[in-house]
Amino acid sequence: MKFGGTSVATLPRWQNIRELVASRRAEGARVLIVVSALTGITDALKQLCAEDDQDKRRACAEGIAQRHHELLGHMQLELPETLGERLAELERLAAEGPAVMGELAWQALVQAHGELMSSALGAAFLTHSDLPTRWLDARDCLDAAALPNQNERTRLLSAMVEAKPDPALATRLAALGEVFITQGFIARDADERTVLLGRGGSDTSASYFGALLKAARVEIWTDVAGMFTANPRQVPGARLLQKLDYEEAQEIASTGAKVLHPRCLSPLREPRVPLLVKDTNRPELDGTVIGPQLSEYAPSVKAISARKGITLVSMESVGMWQQVGFLADVFGEFKKHGLSVDLIGSAETNVTVSLDPTENLLDSDAIAALAGDLARVCRVKVIAPCAAITLVGRGMRSMLHLLSSVLAEFDQIRVHLISQSSNNLNLTFVVDEDVVDSLLPHLHELLIGAGALRTDDSALFGPSWQNLYGRGEAVAPAAAWWREAERQRLLEFGAQATPRYVYHLPTVRAQARKLKTLGAVDRLHYAVKANTHPAILRALAEEGFGFECVSPGELKAVQAAVPESAPLLFTSNFAPREDFVYAFSTRATVSLDALYPLEHWGDVFRGREIVLRVDLGRGLGHHEKVRTGGSGSKFGLPLEQLDTFLRLADAHGVTVRGLHAHLGSGILDDGHWAEVYGQLASLAERIGSVAFLDIGGGLGVPSHPGEAPLDVAALDRRLREVKAAYPHYQLWMEPGRYLVADAGVLLARVTQQKSKDTLRYLGLDTGMNSLIRPALYDAWHEIVNLSRLDEPGTTLYQVVGPICESGDVLGSDRRLPEAREGDVVLVAQAGAYGKVMASPYNLRDEALEIVIE
Amino acid sequence: MTDPRQAQVFRFVRHGYADGVAELVYAFDDGAELVERVSFPGAPALPAGRETAFAAALRLLHLVAGVSYYKAALPPRIEVEGAPLDEATADFLDQLYLHGLAELAYRNGLDLRGRIRFPRGAAAPAAAPALGLPRRTLVPLGGGKDSLVAVEALKHAGVEATVSWVSTSPLIAACAERTDLPQLNLHRELAPGLFELNRLGAWNGHIPVTAVNSVILAVAAILYGYDSIAFANERSASVATLEYEGQQVNHQWSKGYAFERLLRDWLHAYVAADLDYCSLLRPYSELAVTRAFARLGGAYFDVFSSCNRNFRLLGPKPADRWCGQCPKCHFVFLALAPFLPKPRLLAIFGRNLLDEETQAAGFDALLEYHDHKPFECVGEGGESRAAMYTLSERPEWQEDALVARFRSEILPQLDPAQLALEPWLAPAAEHLVPARLRPALDAIGAA
Repeated sequence: MKFGGTSVATLPRWQNIRELVASRRAEGARVLIVVSALTGITDALKQLCAEDDQDKRRACAEGIAQRHHELLGHMQLELPETLGERLAELERLAAEGPAVMGELAWQALVQAHGELMSSALGAAFLTHSDLPTRWLDARDCLDAAALPNQNERTRLLSAMVEAKPDPALATRLAALGEVFITQGFIARDADERTVLLGRGGSDTSASYFGALLKAARVEIWTDVAGMFTANPRQVPGARLLQKLDYEEAQEIASTGAKVLHPRCLSPLREPRVPLLVKDTNRPELDGTVIGPQLSEYAPSVKAISARKGITLVSMESVGMWQQVGFLADVFGEFKKHGLSVDLIGSAETNVTVSLDPTENLLDSDAIAALAGDLARVCRVKVIAPCAAITLVGRGMRSMLHLLSSVLAEFDQIRVHLISQSSNNLNLTFVVDEDVVDSLLPHLHELLIGAGALRTDDSALFGPSWQNLYGRGEAVAPAAAWWREAERQRLLEFGAQATPRYVYHLPTVRAQARKLKTLGAVDRLHYAVKANTHPAILRALAEEGFGFECVSPGELKAVQAAVPESAPLLFTSNFAPREDFVYAFSTRATVSLDALYPLEHWGDVFRGREIVLRVDLGRGLGHHEKVRTGGSGSKFGLPLEQLDTFLRLADAHGVTVRGLHAHLGSGILDDGHWAEVYGQLASLAERIGSVAFLDIGGGLGVPSHPGEAPLDVAALDRRLREVKAAYPHYQLWMEPGRYLVADAGVLLARVTQQKSKDTLRYLGLDTGMNSLIRPALYDAWHEIVNLSRLDEPGTTLYQVVGPICESGDVLGSDRRLPEAREGDVVLVAQAGAYGKVMASPYNLRDEALEIVIE
Repeated sequence: MTDPRQAQVFRFVRHGYADGVAELVYAFDDGAELVERVSFPGAPALPAGRETAFAAALRLLHLVAGVSYYKAALPPRIEVEGAPLDEATADFLDQLYLHGLAELAYRNGLDLRGRIRFPRGAAAPAAAPALGLPRRTLVPLGGGKDSLVAVEALKHAGVEATVSWVSTSPLIAACAERTDLPQLNLHRELAPGLFELNRLGAWNGHIPVTAVNSVILAVAAILYGYDSIAFANERSASVATLEYEGQQVNHQWSKGYAFERLLRDWLHAYVAADLDYCSLLRPYSELAVTRAFARLGGAYFDVFSSCNRNFRLLGPKPADRWCGQCPKCHFVFLALAPFLPKPRLLAIFGRNLLDEETQAAGFDALLEYHDHKPFECVGEGGESRAAMYTLSERPEWQEDALVARFRSEILPQLDPAQLALEPWLAPAAEHLVPARLRPALDAIGAA
């Protein structure tokens, strides 16, 4: 059992260690505890080593001794002799300085004292707490290996140990006692000198001991429950990995995860000793077990990670084609300039390599010098700053076909290098660094959505980090209205006639009220294109919403349904001249998103106030077709045309009263809108006449089980923050799908079934003609057999409609109860962009709409 | 008022100072009063003997800060209530308003010549005496490289200095923290009525904000006791951005040498003979300054920003400080590139602007290729060309999209003899730095 610096720094943490060790004893295990130095002590020892002045070194040693005396005081223990010896030795070393032993050997011995002291202190505490514990000098067990590529510094300060099972040592210890405590980080070399194991040394020590003793397992106790599918700081929805094999874990550790040092796994691989990562504060959590390869699980991506600060060097030359020794010469230059190469991608005339970030790389002229030398033999391009995004999982190649929607995400960004090693464990993309922070959570979500990261397998994947460590308790989503309360009524509707859309107004109102808690927002408009049913329009008017329309038809529908007092927006795109003429005849506030209308139809706008929709230059959203920002999208005025637009507006006496941007749909990141507001505000400051900023909608609605919903309170906090920075603008929003998606369902009946190879098709009496989102956006809608809602899912169905299109698939690979003709099937989250996008294609009857008040 | 542009008279109504707050009142015609407040936190009681100096500085602040309001309507008449101005002061203000608003006039197709005339009629007062002000220096901070170079140079020269800035800016506050010097954060609160005027269609555009901030600092110097104000305006700030119908238009006129000398002379004559106003960077080109920053500014690489987009909320990422699209981003990137290791520069910006083909037009403008110089505080075209030429000779840069484009498309049209970097690094003779601060001046020029 290994405990790190924070775990050994205070009395309560030592009491915790005692409990944990005692529980292992109770299971009948003999325990070897490996400890780090108290938090901050290793740094203090390094500081001591850096002092040239003897008095200052002694003062450092005094301070370090004081820390240990204080902890002893809290433990109400006398100074044990073992610790007293260490303190005296440290004082002597501090007084003596490096001259006698030599700089490096002295440093190693001084720094080793952190662990020597903490373990001595721990032995005393545990023994005193009725857990007899023997102190073991790690240096008597761990012999540093002499390796050919080592220099004196690495030999002494980052040594390696070849740990092979040593039955003699195991027997010797068995004779001595049941519980031992020893030091991480230190070993002894052939010259009997104390050496250090370097970074991550204490974990590595634990592994060495695990291998030497062929332990039942090695437990690394730390401040987090294990390894996750992604860095939780970047992806709060990252899931705990409960089982990994050594190679996967090592790959994850070396591509970004900080929980384990990659070095600590290899000693365990051969003796097949499993390693368990556990959270000291939450011992009840399962943690991550790392062991030999598992066979009984379907291949899955296990983790996605990103390493930033990567520099690429791309070398291009026809000279390398079939040229013996070209690459050897090229790589020789890297060695000469002290740069270590990580990834390599090559083509006939190009080799691109990646360099990991080091201070040396950032602040020396190494790159300039390297480029200068390389330029003599090839064309060199230095590409930076980049980030390497790595997918890790055994059997990566067999999953490639699942990654198409994930890879589509790379379509809009520059991928500089792709690498897939022959160990079949990883797939790495090197991209521009600035896209990574927003890309990573999105890719994580896409991997789950694509079925490549099989979070549905609860044996492999535990709870999300957010669930374990996020703010407050994870609230289980309330059961959908159709699941319990209205199920019977829906079955009756289904029995009468299908297909049918059913809308639940209480859900619309509840969503509306959630958004009304956004105190920072001055005005909310419902984007009516999502669903123009008059009952929904009326309900939202009653909740005080304004209405955003994109066509004269929508304006007319809204005006027919809602009172005169409800504000209207007209936000069209490539609309004809007469649409604007009509819109100005209503009370709507009119938006423009191009120069053309002012250039050619200036008279329509003369003296009017308008809203300008700008394109902030990038798009977001869950699918390419729902992104509405970036030059690949037809929406919005590009920023470089802003000055021209303002000149035109001035010439026609048009006042720009509002600025609007809308970047896409299905966005679940609460920081996004604040960013849009900030960008719009900085533009508005240049315009003067602007009174409000409309940051659009696109509030995401989670569709997959376990996906975290948008945090409305967090969104409000972020908006209040930016609004405080720009208090003189009103803030408008235009949510659509968020208000109505969950309120609607599509009911259909089972027609026929078919088997094809291993696939089972379940036919419904409607498909893409009623609900086109799955075909158009790859949207995922939950599908249930309402007639058999309580039966377990046994059959993996492809749920399809009756339309003559191979894309007429409502859901793939859905585990449902075995169905029968006439069963009522419910497609959830169909309240937005369902009926409004339905078509008469194939001349099948349209789905009628029913409203539940 | 319905249409601000129809106003006939701009009136300097009154000004006052009490409890650390200066109140500056303006009006158009007989319209509502526009009240601006400038606050001086923790202001001490005004030391005896400085009353006349303070009154003169405060009145100048009223007159200079008025440019923010005058520009909303640009009316044909200016009225100054209270004691009449003397000829020299009125001339100074005429120049400031005319040149400081030249860009706004150009952008709106207006000609202000002959329109701006401050009323005058008093005799010049007696020359101001020396006040024995404490020998310490106020250094205004902008969050960009220039003022940080000034700060480091002053520290290097052992000058007692306080960093100061006007209004709230998390960017400047973060930089100020890193300087390890005492801080003085002053506040300027514009009259709320100005926003209303803007909504009603007021003229809008650039104002000589450095002039306003300079005079706020002059008031502060008398109040708190400083004998010098050391700005960080470099040589190219004096170069006109363009000439329009016979008038020089300079986006940064109030950062130029002409304004520096006008204000320095005015402060010496009317406020205190021992209050110095100068720019430490005046003899240096932008390139000399970026070279100094690469050498002295290491502590600020991850906090500073010269980006023109006003980031009011800062985050840890480069994209939270650098928009990467504006002329300032383009120029600072280009001008630092010859002096920093490439990976370090790219880490500062979080991206490589010279490898983005879509940025070609922006860099062309800096090089004065196809386009005139942008309206921003950026270096001269020759400096950008010299920096780009230097990069085009460096293997680690020359394959980047815009450097490669420069080599193939622009360079053949240029005379390589005119593209050397070194001449830009030599200081000019012109500056107003007092003897006490000379060592700081020299620290900047040291290679």
